[in-house]
Amino acid sequence: MDVRPWGISVATLLTLSALGCDHTPAGTPGAAGSAGAPTTMPMSCEGPSPGPAPLHPLTRFQYDNAVRDLLGDATQPAQAFPPENEVDGYRTIAAANQANPRLVETYITAAEAVAGAAVQQRLNDVAPCATGSDPGQCGVDFIKSFGRRAFRRPLSDAEVAPLAGLFAAGSSQGYAQGIQLVIQAVLQSPQFLYRVDALKAPTVETGAVALSGYELAGRLSFALWGSLPDSALLDAADQGKLVTPADVEREARRMLSDARAHDVIRDFSEQWLQLSRLDGAARVGTDLGTDQLNTALRQSLVTFLDQTYLAGQGDFQQLFKSPTVWLDSTLAPLYGGAAASGFTAQTLPEPRAGILTQPALLTILSHSDQTAPVIRGVFVRERFLCLQVQPPPPNLNPVPPKLDPTATTRERFRQHTEQAACSGCHQLIDAVGFGFERYDQLGRYRATENGLDVDESGALIGTGDSSLDGPFSGAVDLAERLANSSMARDCLAKHWYTYTFGRLVTPEDSCSLAQVQRRFAGANGDLKELLVALTQSDSFLYRPAITGAP
Amino acid sequence: MTPRLSRRHLLRAASGAVLALPLLPSLRGSARADVTLAPKRFVTMYTPNGVIHEAWWPTNVASETSFDLNTSHAPLAPHKDRLLLLGGVQLKVATDANAPGGPHQRGIGGLFTNTKLGEGVFMDGCGRTAGWATGISVDQRVANVIGTMSPVPSLQLGVRATENDVQGRISYSGAGTPLPPLATPLDVYTAVFQNFLPPVGGSDQDAAKALLSQRKSVLDAVASEFAPLQARLSSQDKQTLDAHLSLIRDVERRLSLGVTNCDKPAQPGTLDPVSETDMPSIAEQQLDLLAIAFACDLTRVASFEISTALNRIRYPWVNSLGEGHTLSHQGSADPDAMAQLTARQVWHSSLLARLLDRLASITEGDGTVADNTLVMWGNEVSMGTTHSHDNMPFVLAGGRWAFRTGRYVQYTDNPGHGGLLVSVLNAMGVPDTAFGDPEYSSGPLSGLT
Repeated sequence: MDVRPWGISVATLLTLSALGCDHTPAGTPGAAGSAGAPTTMPMSCEGPSPGPAPLHPLTRFQYDNAVRDLLGDATQPAQAFPPENEVDGYRTIAAANQANPRLVETYITAAEAVAGAAVQQRLNDVAPCATGSDPGQCGVDFIKSFGRRAFRRPLSDAEVAPLAGLFAAGSSQGYAQGIQLVIQAVLQSPQFLYRVDALKAPTVETGAVALSGYELAGRLSFALWGSLPDSALLDAADQGKLVTPADVEREARRMLSDARAHDVIRDFSEQWLQLSRLDGAARVGTDLGTDQLNTALRQSLVTFLDQTYLAGQGDFQQLFKSPTVWLDSTLAPLYGGAAASGFTAQTLPEPRAGILTQPALLTILSHSDQTAPVIRGVFVRERFLCLQVQPPPPNLNPVPPKLDPTATTRERFRQHTEQAACSGCHQLIDAVGFGFERYDQLGRYRATENGLDVDESGALIGTGDSSLDGPFSGAVDLAERLANSSMARDCLAKHWYTYTFGRLVTPEDSCSLAQVQRRFAGANGDLKELLVALTQSDSFLYRPAITGAP
Repeated sequence: MTPRLSRRHLLRAASGAVLALPLLPSLRGSARADVTLAPKRFVTMYTPNGVIHEAWWPTNVASETSFDLNTSHAPLAPHKDRLLLLGGVQLKVATDANAPGGPHQRGIGGLFTNTKLGEGVFMDGCGRTAGWATGISVDQRVANVIGTMSPVPSLQLGVRATENDVQGRISYSGAGTPLPPLATPLDVYTAVFQNFLPPVGGSDQDAAKALLSQRKSVLDAVASEFAPLQARLSSQDKQTLDAHLSLIRDVERRLSLGVTNCDKPAQPGTLDPVSETDMPSIAEQQLDLLAIAFACDLTRVASFEISTALNRIRYPWVNSLGEGHTLSHQGSADPDAMAQLTARQVWHSSLLARLLDRLASITEGDGTVADNTLVMWGNEVSMGTTHSHDNMPFVLAGGRWAFRTGRYVQYTDNPGHGGLLVSVLNAMGVPDTAFGDPEYSSGPLSGLT
């Protein structure tokens, strides 16, 4: 039997319904990743200090958007690609997503399908060649114009040549065939499949290098649209009008009023809140089919977030305080809302506040047949406050308590904190989770459970922020607390930073992240300004020099 | 010239009866009358959350060869002679509680790689963090040797293995580079047959050849696009693209292997990879396609992953309505949980039995494809209540050319499973003497051959 330092028998621990705990309370210096700020102190932030800028493969979301914008193909061919390996819930993390054999094969088949459909259905839109024109010249023109949009910059001669050769070979079977092969090759070229933010200049580089207009165009489009630059961005780059931070800001503001910005909000939100945890999960307490329920819940939450970010004056406070819940005809009966066609914003009679009380999130943070105070507590600390929760001791056997019709969930789970060995951590976790007890495993409001009043008192402890710590009464009260918390606000900025730049925050990112967080705070938590702030950071506008000979 | 036996003629069940597999294609030409020339195939199989030991280990054990299969393995009774049940093996690489990751994560990461996890931010249900496994998995090591001459070097199959993090990956092409599994039978079908060239004389032969030729010219052009970009990248980015380019070259090479002498099976229907209703069909159809891929020599290596470590899913088709991980923590102390968990293992066994049934019904030389296949079945923990990595529930099936099967071997000296992986590699013709983390590696496990 393993020896454990606190000398409690395994048998004792086996009876605990604990997620376990450790001696060091999260939130104390050294134990916690404090919100937003990296634990390692950065170099000085004098002068541009960008984080690393490696190649990023397009995610499936980005690939699908790109072929939609390039060729009008809305078939979402990338859904047949292998899924991204996720890190911290994010699919954009380059380090975890190198090419693999299956991915390369699916690049082939997707390119064939997209190219085939384009020439068969839309040749005159995609690659027009007027009657009487020289098809050979049309082909070359197409390679340059299509290539520029797909590669996000003009092609070099060395890049045009293989495509021209391919077009010539294919066009022996007709113009359309030549075009089709060119599209296939472009869609499989690394210049298309990877976000390339760092092309070495033909000189020796040192320090931080300002990105070119084309590189900024690509950064902007993938950050704010999850897709390729539009012609306005590329034209601005052509004309030298995408150089300064002000140029980037001007374009960012224009782009945020475009419908494509909604796609990015949704993509981020799915990953931030780990909505894939809804997929296929069984739920007790409703006759709705699992898929029907989960699909509707997902849509409800994503709509809430999208609307909060982009409709009206969306700000960080609204994210946590808005009483709105989006319900459709599937969800309305379950949550006591009004019947409606499509999703409509509704205010329910009971207390609701922002993300924390969204039915979908409460459902994700539950077991199939009961709430999960521990999971809810951990999620709030980690996902909304960027606090690190300490792991439990090894060889602990955590298991949720059995259902008991004579007790409340809180009473059943309370054993956690009554065990001395566990109380150190579990008071940090459970005290948060218990505050959600008036929302059941489907996120429905309940004032009583098994005929007993539900106690929704909770507490934030050991966050490292004295203005955040202290008792609260229920999720709405907790939401109010978070809405006014700089730690929570910084944490959201950190999550966006991770998603946008496709890496876990490194020490080299600390200056840029701090810039984003400062600007977000200065804008009083305006969510659109958070997205603009990302584009104004050093990591967005610059890249580290590429060492080595020119 | 020696007349070639039509493989179609060999397509009969070992009993002599014509086999009745709805999905099985007819096989043409390329018969291997000499079984020693038949390719060897390898499968890693993973099931989660430990087992109920009381229902797992054989009973009435009189000797290595005289024992009764326990309840969990009842569906495997017809294949008892092919089995090698291994008791007392430790997943030593996962035992360091101070290494990154919780016990489930360390277990699934080390199971087929024999490596520890790297540092990272994947979190298990208990707040422990880890990164990916830090080495190649045994299936990929085998694929690098024997998979190169088949059109599909290896297949990764996943049944509701849709968590895309360390808890959902069993196959690694190298340190920190996990291979995502194919989620549905349709995905598998597409992966196996997308480069498929119909048999000579088939009506669509010309079109298929034209497609392959076109693919090659496109890939040539694509390869030519790499150099101008790479000239301007950092060395790290160059490596990223080098790896990508070599995968393209490999696809090109495999396209030239595209001619095969099997008929294409029917295309499977659409199933939902996260649906608990579709889960049994997904598993069964994936295995049926795998049997075809093996029989037709379209691939020789596969990993088969049923769900993920720490999963919370139900198995309603065996009346198990608890959440998997929660049930495993209740364990055998709880009669209802024990019954549900055992029912899950019975189903897992039935899947292995289904694969063996399929393979055993396809004649190859003097034997069957099952005679030329080795399956290694493992779990990331021994039992859910303790998260122990002792006495792991390892089962080998097949591999009779290398192992003495039909036995229950109980080790008393707690050997690490690194030796088991070396034994498996050796059986597959890979002459490695060590595998994975040197600290946990050893020569082959004794008593198998």
